Amino acid sequence: MHFSLFIISLMSIAPKPNAALFIAGHGSTENPDSSVPYFEHADEIRRRGLFAEVHCIFWKEEPSFREAWYLTDCEEIYVVPDFISEGYFTQDVIPRELELTGPTTLVRGKTIHYCAPVGIHPSMTQLLLRRAQEVAPDVDPAQTSLIVVGHGTNLNANSTKAIKDQCEQLRQTGYAFVLDAYMEEQPFIADWHEYTSTPNVVVVPFFIADGLHSYQDIPVLLGMESEVGAAASQREVFRHNPHELHGRKLYYSSAIGTERLIADVILDQIHDFDQQHLCHS
Amino acid sequence: MTQQQWLESLLSQGFHRMGQIEIRRAPDDSDSFWLCHEDDREILSGQAPPPEHFLVTENPYDARDISTYSAEQEYRFTKGQTNLRGGWLMKVKGTVQLLAALDAFYPACFGLWVAQKRGTLEVQTLRDKLNRQTGMYRFARSISDEGAQALVQQVCGPAHQCAKKILWKIDENTPLDDSEASRFNGISSGLSEPQAIPLLCREACNHFVAECRKASKREFEAKAAASS
Repeated sequence: MHFSLFIISLMSIAPKPNAALFIAGHGSTENPDSSVPYFEHADEIRRRGLFAEVHCIFWKEEPSFREAWYLTDCEEIYVVPDFISEGYFTQDVIPRELELTGPTTLVRGKTIHYCAPVGIHPSMTQLLLRRAQEVAPDVDPAQTSLIVVGHGTNLNANSTKAIKDQCEQLRQTGYAFVLDAYMEEQPFIADWHEYTSTPNVVVVPFFIADGLHSYQDIPVLLGMESEVGAAASQREVFRHNPHELHGRKLYYSSAIGTERLIADVILDQIHDFDQQHLCHS
Repeated sequence: MTQQQWLESLLSQGFHRMGQIEIRRAPDDSDSFWLCHEDDREILSGQAPPPEHFLVTENPYDARDISTYSAEQEYRFTKGQTNLRGGWLMKVKGTVQLLAALDAFYPACFGLWVAQKRGTLEVQTLRDKLNRQTGMYRFARSISDEGAQALVQQVCGPAHQCAKKILWKIDENTPLDDSEASRFNGISSGLSEPQAIPLLCREACNHFVAECRKASKREFEAKAAASS
């Protein structure tokens, strides 16, 4: 395995002491765990003192996207969607709710820079590798398949592009086999044992938050749990590696978005935005 | 004036309560502030240390953890709920940290109040909110005006654990029916401005949207049953 990829080679951004950062997430009225990663990413970036203010804004929690204006007096705001792929929320909902018309929009006297979502940044590859190594530190990558699992939907072709792109990069990192698999489209994660032949299999959910999909649905599809509900003990499901299934050792990690270093990917997206659109960072 | 200047001005006029949070200047440092649940406010005198079981923190962002669950371990899905738990003391430095803490307990609420004072607060009707819902919540938009009016009285207001003052209408031409919920002034403590400021509800919350979806479904099923 090329361990050099584990070094989080971050692009530094210049401090923006007069700008605010909005981390845009989905959120939930049902499950408080679903917004924990966003707040942790915000805490991490605040700790570095790069922005005057760092706020989380949500589609399904408070403060809502439309309440974002009332959070800050800063006249320059960077918005980074803490979403795993380009799609309906990043291309339709967030621009509509924030009244954005392009990469940079002047709205109500404020200059809003709209960055790309975290999931499509190349540096996510490093975090996926890091998470795979954390969950199965002693396995030989040459004897191991790495599966990155996403939701998948036949309704939006874009929803799987990010995961396919990440797997393309991961294929160059020393794992015997790398596969993108999905809950609701082919290749189905439920068939993981048919797609893989190595003695070790590592599965990393490509979601921002741990929720019903990573606590319950995917463990059932993998065969770790017999029925939905059995794994409702939440994070407990991630603490019993490896699972002996189909004659293999299966290692299952929590969602990639729960990695605190996603904060660095957020900053990477801001760096890339500045390079591409502003060129004054 | 910036939000911070509004806050400083308000404090100089005696502001000390927002929602269920009591705010006092620290007994030993006039640039710092101590916050606690309004029912625990006797601890703010500083004359005795807080009870041993109290969480004492200097991090304003701990407000999120404090406010996620009620004392009964119920998820507080909207922060305007009147079931904030007690048993904590927060010590913050300056009005920057104080504003951060208030925003973490009551997201955007201070800014909403400032915007109202500035005359820049935009209110969103229920129809506008519902018409932008997609996926499983798309069905919420089918709720009748009568159903929505009834729901306000079943879901909103202090009788249903929400301390926010509703500013929105059903649509531009349809104000809310008069009720305890629609009349509520957003100050659950009963204090007056500027001792306290109201929590403002400029758009129906996502809990209300979810309830609209359920009510809309019930209306649909009732109509189907009546016509069969």
